[in-house]
Amino acid sequence: MKEVLEGSHAVSEAVRLARTKVISAYPITPQTHIVEALSEYCANGSMDAKFICVESEHSAMASCIGAASAGVRTFTASSSHGLALMHELLHWAAGARLPIVMAEVNRALGPGWNIWMDQSDSLSQRDTGWIQLYCETAQEVLDTTLQAYRLAEIVNLPVMVVLDAFFLSHTYEPVDIPDQASVDRFLPSFVPRITLDQQNPNAIGQMAPPAFYMEMRHSIQMAMQSVLEHFIDVEREFETVFGRTYGPITPFACDDAESIFVMAGTSASTCRQAVKTLRDKGHKVGVIKLKMFRPFPYQHIRKCLEQTKKVIVLDRNCSFGPGGIFAQELRAAMYASEQHPQIFSYISGLGGRDVTVDHFLEIFDRTEKADHPENESVWIGLNP
Amino acid sequence: MNQSIQTQSPNNVSLLISQSRTNTLGNKTGTWRFVRPKYQEKTAACSNACPLGIDIAMVEMFASRKDYQSALNTILMENPFPAICGRVCFHPCESACNRQFLDQSVGIHQIERFVGNWGLKNTQQHIQYPEFNGAKIGIIGAGPAGLSVAYFARRLGYRCDIFEKSDKPGGLLMSGIPSYRLPDRILMDELQRLNDDGIQLKYKQSISMDQLETFKQHYDALFLCCGDANSILLKIVGENFAIDGLNLLRQVRSQEMPTIEGTVAVIGGGNTAIDVARSLLRMGANPIIVYRRTRKEMPAHPHEIDAALDEGVVLKECLSPIELQKETNHLQISLQVMKAGRKSNEGRQTYIPDGNRRETMQVNHVVSAIGAEMDMMWRNDQWELSMSHCQMKRIADIPVFWCGDMTISDKTVTHALASGKQAVIALDVLRNHGHDEIKNACHQCQVGNGPAISFDIYKQGKRKERNNSEIANFERLNTAYFPNIPAVQVNKISQEACLNSFDEVISGFDESQMIEEASRCFNCGICNDCDTCRIFCPEMAIQWDQNNRHILMDYCKGCGICIEECPRDAMNLEVEP
Repeated sequence: MKEVLEGSHAVSEAVRLARTKVISAYPITPQTHIVEALSEYCANGSMDAKFICVESEHSAMASCIGAASAGVRTFTASSSHGLALMHELLHWAAGARLPIVMAEVNRALGPGWNIWMDQSDSLSQRDTGWIQLYCETAQEVLDTTLQAYRLAEIVNLPVMVVLDAFFLSHTYEPVDIPDQASVDRFLPSFVPRITLDQQNPNAIGQMAPPAFYMEMRHSIQMAMQSVLEHFIDVEREFETVFGRTYGPITPFACDDAESIFVMAGTSASTCRQAVKTLRDKGHKVGVIKLKMFRPFPYQHIRKCLEQTKKVIVLDRNCSFGPGGIFAQELRAAMYASEQHPQIFSYISGLGGRDVTVDHFLEIFDRTEKADHPENESVWIGLNP
Repeated sequence: MNQSIQTQSPNNVSLLISQSRTNTLGNKTGTWRFVRPKYQEKTAACSNACPLGIDIAMVEMFASRKDYQSALNTILMENPFPAICGRVCFHPCESACNRQFLDQSVGIHQIERFVGNWGLKNTQQHIQYPEFNGAKIGIIGAGPAGLSVAYFARRLGYRCDIFEKSDKPGGLLMSGIPSYRLPDRILMDELQRLNDDGIQLKYKQSISMDQLETFKQHYDALFLCCGDANSILLKIVGENFAIDGLNLLRQVRSQEMPTIEGTVAVIGGGNTAIDVARSLLRMGANPIIVYRRTRKEMPAHPHEIDAALDEGVVLKECLSPIELQKETNHLQISLQVMKAGRKSNEGRQTYIPDGNRRETMQVNHVVSAIGAEMDMMWRNDQWELSMSHCQMKRIADIPVFWCGDMTISDKTVTHALASGKQAVIALDVLRNHGHDEIKNACHQCQVGNGPAISFDIYKQGKRKERNNSEIANFERLNTAYFPNIPAVQVNKISQEACLNSFDEVISGFDESQMIEEASRCFNCGICNDCDTCRIFCPEMAIQWDQNNRHILMDYCKGCGICIEECPRDAMNLEVEP
């Protein structure tokens, strides 16, 4: 059934349909609408779940860890400073191999207080062992959240579903909300591989001395390496039931492209518009939208970018010093490739600033004229 | 101790985690500790304010659990008359109640009244009196102070004789408090408790100072509890036309109801003036209270003033009578108009004549109710012992204690009862440990920062284990555990019924109301077995067995979470010895 939904509520609907059992969250703009709707579902009985109110995001994640250890499906949502406060427990969730799903609404970090779109918050958590899936539309948000549970429970790793603040979280779009029976078919009830058992008491995550710790870490890495393969299976099954698929990356007009834009999130839509304009002018240009950032889909990226000459990366984030984070990942990905293209790094649209079609045309123009990339990321759209 | 778990997955995904099935008993987290928690009960703010130091938090806890016998016993430990005090006490406990800082104070006096009533209707447990300790005491006056002396002395093994001037016990309770506040039935039933104690009451015994010498042969100590028997005079021309307020109240109470009709001026601003005015309303007269200061300065208790004004008593402020004149059908009062003067050194507003401004009032009667004082013959200012609620000097080698209104500045029933308690304890210490130990011993029994002392502590009861000098104030509570609950409104008879009879105005709580109200009590400073400490202990070091909560020091790591979480400040953190 199609409904016009706010991006936030596309997450809430998916969490409801996933028959999540425990939700714990602390409100923070621009995430609040997600859990607000869920708390209502819990209160009015349309969800059979426990909503745990907490005093901080740190405790929200702790509650999810406890509930997931007991063997139930859990959910939380956060953003920006809230996510940063969870940091310690993000490591714990992944290390304890708990299939927690979180919606992460990309928002800038202060100071200056800024509630708008920026990728710095989620990318700061890239080394915590969480799978990260970035979305572009409200439909993709709903679908990815359902897929996230499936994927998390196969690989025993937590998943962050990432969506842009306001551009996606607070924008209304038509969304096909699947019926419960179809969702149940795609996402059967959770059978935990590890669980607490009152009859046979055990402590999970106990002391792991040098003789043991490394194997645990290796196991996480092995699981992470298997994510891509399982994600593709999950998407295939999802397509069978719902007829929609996204892929770890979504290429557009890339087959003969000499230059290819790469980015994540809603600016991919704007970029496609720019690509159409450039194609009309005879430029061989394409765009790749990155959905999966952790693990990084090296093979898919390499296969798509190997034949092109210039890769143009748009980062709505900045790792101070090295610059754009996606650009760093792409350089690393393409280094091993035999004919690696030149990688041009651009930073724009921080703290909610618009990235327009004109910005992409300007970026393309600069890249076209340059023989090789500059040493540092180039900032686009700065005030004079 | 550690065990790795490699679980098999249908998808061949590696899953290796650390897990242990060994229990944590071997991990003696107590070795990490440098501070330790301790169950340390304290004095609730209400108990600190109670002149009798009643263990109110405990009373409310028992009452809310319908354990009325325990609630009653807890009150009776410190106060002989719960049914009376539940009605006439001005309840400073409620003014100090910590709950007022959240929503409204707990209706403590209504709960005491309910428990007191329960005690009157239900058979008492047999009291185990101590053996006769060989000492006999004589008590002059069977008012609240004298009865209190007898009650507590009996419980320390003394034999007591009371000499009463009138033919009834109760003193001011019987003659000064109208029955719409304290019905006869309640008063008589409660005084019966003393008869059951085997206390000898000798009526129509007017004792004078000269006779005290002769008491030496029969008694080891004397207690003067004669009260303020003489009304203070207006000292104006025409004074003889005024009716004496205390005498009027005595007549009203004794059913020798005089006929007083028309407009009546009641001179005074204390509780007697209010009692007189409200009684006059019920007798069909129109009382006007004439007071020389303003309502704010009236010594009567505010809730009594409110009740009087609600019932229709008129208050005229800033008027001081200077002359009464008898006219044919009425009395004429000449009044000096008063105005605010300077503040006294203690910050009290003084009132001074406003030049020569005069007013006159024509009324049918004038009642003087400006207070009372003790008989001149008991005056004394040479003391061997002077404490907050009693004074002592030796007459003919035996200690004589001045008690009740004769010695206290707050002339209330509850303070008079406290006076009796303090004097008995002082005598007991004097006899057993000597004069020099009295003040120290009383200090040891002090509730909160005093001056109230506890009979239970004196008798080395359970309350002795508490840190009684520490007060569980609002700031020390964890109010996250207490949602807002409005106070239960007490039942009253209709305004019409008030004006037509001396029926009791407040009809009190029924059982469900009482339980609801008692459950609002935070039980400040005491452990009410809420179990929060045990639930929150991260090391499961708090154990509950055999009705006893204790801390396993092998595992308590001194984190202090139990103390932080305790809703009612019943625990303390101490530096490890």
